[in-house]
Amino acid sequence: MLLSALVFIPLLGAILLAFFPKERESAIRGYALVVSLIPAVLVYLIWQQMDFSQSAMQLVIQRDWIPSLGISYKLGVDGISFPLIAVSALVLPLSILASFTIKHRVKEFFLWMLVLQTAIYGVFTALDYFLFFIFFEASLVPMYFIIGIWGGPRKEYASLKFFIYTLLGSAIMLVGILALYLGSGLRTFDVQVLAQQANLAPTLQWWIFLAFFAGFAVKVPIFPFHTWLPDAHVEAPTGGSMILAGILLKTGTYGFFRFMLPTFPDAAQAFSPVLAVLGIVGIIYGALAAMGQNDLKKMVAYSSISHMGYVVLGVAAMTPMSLNGAMFVNVSHGIISPLLFFVVASVIYDRTHTRMMDQMSGLFTKIPVAASLTAFAAFANLGLPGMAGFPGEFFTFVGSFPVYTTLVVLAAALGLVTTAGYHLWMMQRVLMGKPTGEELPDISGRELVVAAPLMICIVLLGILPGIALRLFNEPIAVLAARLGGM
Amino acid sequence: MPVDGSLQLILPEILLAAAGMVVLAAGLTWKTSRAPGVLALLGIAAAGAALYTNVWGATAELWSRTVVVDGFANLFKAIFLVVAALTVLVSMEYVQRNGIPAGEFYALLLLATVGMVFMAGSLNLLTIYLGLECLSLASYAMAGMLRRNPKSTEASLKYILIGAISSGVVLFGMSLLFGAAGSTHLTDIARALAGSGELAPVAVAGMMFLIAGFGVKMAAVPFHMWAPDVYHGSPAPVAAFLITASEAAAFGAALRIFMVGLPALADEWRTVFIVLAVISMTVGNITAILQTNVRRMLAYSAVAQAGYIMVGLAVASDRAVSAMLYYLIAYAFMTIGAFAVVILLGRQHPSEEINDFRGLGQRSPLFALALTIFLLSLIGIPPTAGFFGKFYLIQAAVGANLTWLAVVMMINSVISIPYYWGVVRTMYLRDAEEKAPLSVPAGVRWAAVIGLAGTLVLGLFPDAVVQIVSAVHVVPTWLWTAF
Repeated sequence: MLLSALVFIPLLGAILLAFFPKERESAIRGYALVVSLIPAVLVYLIWQQMDFSQSAMQLVIQRDWIPSLGISYKLGVDGISFPLIAVSALVLPLSILASFTIKHRVKEFFLWMLVLQTAIYGVFTALDYFLFFIFFEASLVPMYFIIGIWGGPRKEYASLKFFIYTLLGSAIMLVGILALYLGSGLRTFDVQVLAQQANLAPTLQWWIFLAFFAGFAVKVPIFPFHTWLPDAHVEAPTGGSMILAGILLKTGTYGFFRFMLPTFPDAAQAFSPVLAVLGIVGIIYGALAAMGQNDLKKMVAYSSISHMGYVVLGVAAMTPMSLNGAMFVNVSHGIISPLLFFVVASVIYDRTHTRMMDQMSGLFTKIPVAASLTAFAAFANLGLPGMAGFPGEFFTFVGSFPVYTTLVVLAAALGLVTTAGYHLWMMQRVLMGKPTGEELPDISGRELVVAAPLMICIVLLGILPGIALRLFNEPIAVLAARLGGM
Repeated sequence: MPVDGSLQLILPEILLAAAGMVVLAAGLTWKTSRAPGVLALLGIAAAGAALYTNVWGATAELWSRTVVVDGFANLFKAIFLVVAALTVLVSMEYVQRNGIPAGEFYALLLLATVGMVFMAGSLNLLTIYLGLECLSLASYAMAGMLRRNPKSTEASLKYILIGAISSGVVLFGMSLLFGAAGSTHLTDIARALAGSGELAPVAVAGMMFLIAGFGVKMAAVPFHMWAPDVYHGSPAPVAAFLITASEAAAFGAALRIFMVGLPALADEWRTVFIVLAVISMTVGNITAILQTNVRRMLAYSAVAQAGYIMVGLAVASDRAVSAMLYYLIAYAFMTIGAFAVVILLGRQHPSEEINDFRGLGQRSPLFALALTIFLLSLIGIPPTAGFFGKFYLIQAAVGANLTWLAVVMMINSVISIPYYWGVVRTMYLRDAEEKAPLSVPAGVRWAAVIGLAGTLVLGLFPDAVVQIVSAVHVVPTWLWTAF
C-alpha cells in the first residue's frame, strides 16, 4: 500500500492541479511543493518498516493485471532501490522549490514535474518488466516538455534529441524484454522470477543482455551513447537539470543492478571487460571534455558523464567492494550534482545572467555566500575526503583494482587529476580574480533552503558513509555472490 | 443446417441497411438539420443491440454457405459499428457546415458499413467480393461529397480509378482460384489445394492478384499511391472512416482468405506479406516526415500503420492474429480521436497545416492533451493502446522466430517520432497569434473523449480485450468437423 501511495500520489496531485485556475501562480507553486513532500513522508515510513539486514524484496504488493500474458502489478523495495528512492524524495521537492522562479506557463510546468515524479518512483519500485517499461518510458514525456517549453535557446533541438535517443535505446530494450519473456518459457514478466529461474541459452542471453544494455547505456549515459546529455542538461531549466542529473541518470545504472546483473550473470561477466573499458573511457573523456568547457553548465554536464563512469567501472569489476562503491557513487552523485546544477544554473546565473566562465570573475568578493556554496559543491564533486563524493570513488577503485589493475591505475591517474583540475580551474576563473561589473545581491533565503538539505547530506555521507552502506550492503553481497565475485 | 432463425443471425446487417434507407428518406425532408445523423446513430445502436443480443457467441453458416457467423466476424462487426458511430459523431457538425447533403452522406456511410460487415462475415469469395464492392462504391461517392471543392473531386476520381482497377484485380484473382479449386468457398479451396500436393501455378497467380487487390485497400506500399490524395482531399470524417474501417475490413477479409483458403500456400504469401510490411512501414514513415499538411501526414502514417498491422498477417500464428485484431481496435480509437481534433482545428484553419496547431496547448488544453495521447499511441509509447498493440504484435513476431521483423518494427517506431511528435511540439512549444479558446461542437467533443477513453483503457487495462481477441479464431474449426 505504502509503495502504491508513493508512486501514485504525485500523479493524483497532478490531476487535481489541472483544475486549479491558471492565474493563481503562488498557490500552484505551494501546492506542488506540498504534494512533492508527501512522498518524503512516505519514504520515512517505508524506512521505518524495512529490515536492511536482509536482501529480500520488502513491502511487496502484487496484483494480477493482464493475466493472459503473465503481467502483474508488482511493486517492491529492497536495499538497492531504497537509497535511490530516498535520494528522489530529497531531490524532487528541492527541484520544485528551485523552480519557483519559473514565470512562464506556471501551471503546466508544475503539472509535468508532478507527473515526472510518479514515473521516477515507479521506475525504482516496479518489479514487473511490463510495468517497469511503462514507467521508464513515461518519464520521457514530462522531461521532454520541461526541456522543450522552459529550456534555453536550443531547447527544441535538445529536447527532441533527448527524446529520440532515449526512445531508440528503450525500443531495443523492449525487444530484449520480449525475448526474455518468450525465451525463458516462463510466461511471466516478473523480474524476480525471471532472474531466478530463467534458463537461457548462452547466445540468447548475450543478445538479450545487449538489448538491455542499449536501453540503459543511453540513459546512464555510457560513452559513446552520451551525446544527448550535454545538450539536454545545458538547455533544461534548473529544476529539470537537477532531476535529470540527480535521478534520471540513476535509472540507467539502477537497471544494471536490478535487471542486468541478476538476470544475465554469465553474459555480464563475459561483457565485463568491455564495460570496464567504457567506464574508464567515460571517466577520462568526461573529465577532459569538462575541462574544455567555457559554459559552467556544460562543464557540470560532462562531469556527470565522468562520474557515471565510476559507477560503470564498479559494476564491471563485480566485486562486493566495487559494487558497493558503484551504489555509493549513485547515491552521492544523486545529491551532489543537483546541488552543483542549482548553484551554477540558478544561483550564479540569476545574478550574473551568464554561464560563461570568461565573463565572470571575483564572485568571492561580490557574492561571498553564494560563491562559498559554489566552492563547497565543486569540492564535493571532485571527491574531497570528508564529503560524499569521496567514499564511493574510493570503494570503486579499491574494489576494481584487483580485477582491472592497469585500467584502474590509468583512471586514477588521469581521471582524478583531471577532475580535480577542472574544478579548481573553474573556481580560479569564476570565484577568484578581480570583481567586475555592478553590485549583485547575495543568496536569498529560498535558495539557502534548497541548498542546505543537500549540503547536510553531503557532509553526513562523507563523514559517516556507513549510513548509506548499511542500506545496500546485504543485497549487494547477495548479488556479488551470484556473480561469483570475490 | 437449420434455416430457422437464420434471419435472426443477420439482423444487424438488415437493421443497418434499413437504417440507411430511412436516413436517405429522412434526408429528403431535413436537408440541413442533424436529424439524419441522429437517425443514423440510432440505426447503428439498434444494429449493435441486435449484434449483442442475437448474434454474439453464435456460430453458423447460412444461405448456401454464403454468410458465416462466428466470433471473428462478430468482433469485426463490433469494430465496424463503433467506427461508424464515431464517424457519425464527428460528421454531425462537419456535414452541416460544409453543406453536404446529410441524407445521402449518412446513407452511404451505413451502406459502406454493411459492405464491410459482409467482407468479414463470409467464407465465400463471391460474398466477400460483393461486400468489397458495396464498401468501395459507397466510399467513392463519399470521397467526392465536397462538391465545390476541386480537391474532393480529385480524391473521388482517383479513388474510383484505382479502386476499380483493384476490384478487377481482386475479381481476377478470385476467378483464378475458382479455376484451380472449382469452388468459391474458402474451405473447398483449401481442401482442393491441399489435395493436389504440388503448387498449382494458377493458384499462386490468383494469390498474387488477391494480395495486390487487397493491398490497395490496405494502402500498403507499393499500392498506396492513391491514399495521400484521397485522405487529404475527401471530407475529413470520410478520411477517418476510410483509414480505420475500410482498412480493417480489408485486413479482416485478407485474414480469412489467406488463412482459411490458402494455408497450402502459406510460405508464399507469408513471404510476400513480410516484404510488404517492411516496405510499407519504412516508406510510410520516411515519407510522412516530409509532410507539412496534417492530413497528408496522417495518410502516410496510415500507410506505415498498415505495415505494422500486416506483421500480424505475415506471422500468421494464433497469437499474431489476436495481436492484429487488438491493434485494429486500438488503431480505430486513436485514429478517429486524432481526426476529431483535426476536424476541430479545421473549423478555423481549413488548410489543416501542421503549423496551424501552434499554441493549441494553451488554446484548448484538453484537446491538445488528447491529441498528444493519440500521437503517443500511434508512436507506441506506454501507457497507451498503441503501445500494447505493438507490444503484442512484436511479441508474436519474436515468438515466431521473426525477431528481425520485430526489430525493424521498433526502428520504424523510432523513425516515426519526428513527424508525430512534430505536431506535439507545435502545439506546446510554439505560440499562436490567436489566443482565443476554440469552440467545440458536441459531436466532436464526444468522439475525442471516447477515443481518449478507448486509447487509455486499452493501454492500461488491456486484459478484457486480450481475452476477447485471443478467443477468436480465423479458421472456423467448427466447420471442419462438419465435413
